Amino acid sequence: MNWPAFWLSLQVTAIATIAILIVGLAAALFLTRVRLPGLILIETIILLPLVLPPSVLGYYLLLLLGRGSPLVEWFNIRLLFTLPAAVIAATITGLPLMVQSTRAALSTVDPVLENAARTLGSSEIEILWRITIPLARRGILAGLILGGARALGEFGATLMVTGNIPGRTQTLPVAIYDAVQSQRYADAHLMVLVMTGLAFVGLFWVRRLEPPPEQYRAATTRTEEVHDELAASH
Amino acid sequence: MTNSQLHIDIEKRLGTFSLQIELSVRPEILVLFGPSGSGKTQTLQAIAGLMTPDSGTIALNDTLFFQRRPALPLINVPARKRCIGYVFQQYALFPHLTVLENIAYPMAGQRDAHQRALTLLERIRLPHLAHRMPHQLSGGQQQRVAIARALATNPRVLLFDESFSALDRVIRDQLHADIRTLQAEEQLIVLYVTHNLDDAFAIGHRLAIIHNGHVEQVATLDDVFVHPANRRVLDILGIPNIIHTRVIESSTARLLLDWDGLMLESMPLDCPPGSEVTACIRPEDIRVLYPDRPVSHVVQQNYLDGTIVERRPGRHMHRLRVALSDRHVVEIDHPTRTYTNLPLPPGAAVKLALRKESIIVIPSRHDRQGHTSHQHYDPKPHSNPTHHHVHHEHNA
Repeated sequence: MNWPAFWLSLQVTAIATIAILIVGLAAALFLTRVRLPGLILIETIILLPLVLPPSVLGYYLLLLLGRGSPLVEWFNIRLLFTLPAAVIAATITGLPLMVQSTRAALSTVDPVLENAARTLGSSEIEILWRITIPLARRGILAGLILGGARALGEFGATLMVTGNIPGRTQTLPVAIYDAVQSQRYADAHLMVLVMTGLAFVGLFWVRRLEPPPEQYRAATTRTEEVHDELAASH
Repeated sequence: MTNSQLHIDIEKRLGTFSLQIELSVRPEILVLFGPSGSGKTQTLQAIAGLMTPDSGTIALNDTLFFQRRPALPLINVPARKRCIGYVFQQYALFPHLTVLENIAYPMAGQRDAHQRALTLLERIRLPHLAHRMPHQLSGGQQQRVAIARALATNPRVLLFDESFSALDRVIRDQLHADIRTLQAEEQLIVLYVTHNLDDAFAIGHRLAIIHNGHVEQVATLDDVFVHPANRRVLDILGIPNIIHTRVIESSTARLLLDWDGLMLESMPLDCPPGSEVTACIRPEDIRVLYPDRPVSHVVQQNYLDGTIVERRPGRHMHRLRVALSDRHVVEIDHPTRTYTNLPLPPGAAVKLALRKESIIVIPSRHDRQGHTSHQHYDPKPHSNPTHHHVHHEHNA
């Protein structure tokens, strides 16, 4: 078992998941709240990593982080072949899943509830914190877990931008590839099992987060309780 | 705050529909009544600050909530600062909060929030449900919680937007009684939107009849039936027996009307002889005379002969359709319980009488004929099943 790669993977995934939460939630809110003509364009760009080959993403990241990019030339920030490059790759590939799920969850929140909160004295920020996000929390959490799991499994783009330096930038998926390449199958077996286990737990959790049948729908009249109610009100 | 008043004078265009509402509401229950799509909900939303009018003024006493008028500074107080209670049709309780948390919601951060929420819960008689989730309550209970939550902001104005239309009759009657008590205790300004006339009678002090974005008439519930402002009000209220007549004679004692050959005498009104006027005859005011009894002195005039066309049984009143000698058909509400039951089978000949007061003449000068006739926002504005006219039987 390649423990350094395991810990590096956990670090990368943890930081990427936090980034996915913040950026993904902001992007989903932006996409559901703002009415702009070119919105579908922005949305398409955010979702692009879902379908692009990892090598294409890796190529773009090389352009973004490598020599000649504004990041290097103007700010002298050199991220190529470092752990932050792995974090960026993991974030970008995990983000679409988070945005999709969060967007869907936000749009199921009944606007009447937000209007009710307005008449009860809440500001827009307060409504977001006390009504919208709590009501969408299952979808947000599900998106976050999916995005995090995807970040954990990031391989192609990571391989291209981190340089596969064991102990410094080599994450678990890359280490598995490395082990197979050098025919250390026992190593690969164990790492594959660990990856599968983590992915299984993540997906299992997501399934359990799927909204329960009745509870969070807008309630409708239940006439069968009319008599109880009459009795109770006297 | 004894002489408080809510004043609304707004305009808003929504596609081809235009809302043009002017209302003054004092501490009372004003029912906004009209067909669906007539602009009642938009009016409430404008008052609450959930919808911004194109122009006009909304003010509670001296406090301007909204003002957009030429040469005056723009004012638009956000909904959260207007302190107006809004009770929605869909209850709109927060599904992730308990009953108590819902009521305490607007008081977040206040030290006595919990205690005050409990007091409000007792007031709506549901203290035993404090820790239930909204989906565990019945519709009537949910709506009571919604009312308590709206009251937690200490509003001066309370708005009900078809709030009870999904509830059973019995529950609805009880909530109506609760709101009347509440309004009287707190001297609240209450606006109550409904398209159900029974609800309007059950709760309202005054009625504002809204049609196609305009206020057609504001009057007390009695007045609106005795002095309907125009033909459209009759249609919206579903008053049958609308007749078109010509004035024959107008004196201080009476108005003599010619209804296609039938002479009808009504209360004096300032109408020149020869003018065409619309009138209606209240179905409960047409008396079916006993053939063998002397006629009471209150119905000394307006005798009509007719033949029963149809008799529909009702709980308190039978609805009769009677064809008159001139082939017009009138609708009559005949009490189900009388001293002696009259046999009223279809085809039977009957004698009718109506008091002068029962013919309600609509002053034609107030009739804003045709100002909205070609731009109906409502897809089926005249689908009201109680929308009757006097039918000609020539084709029958």
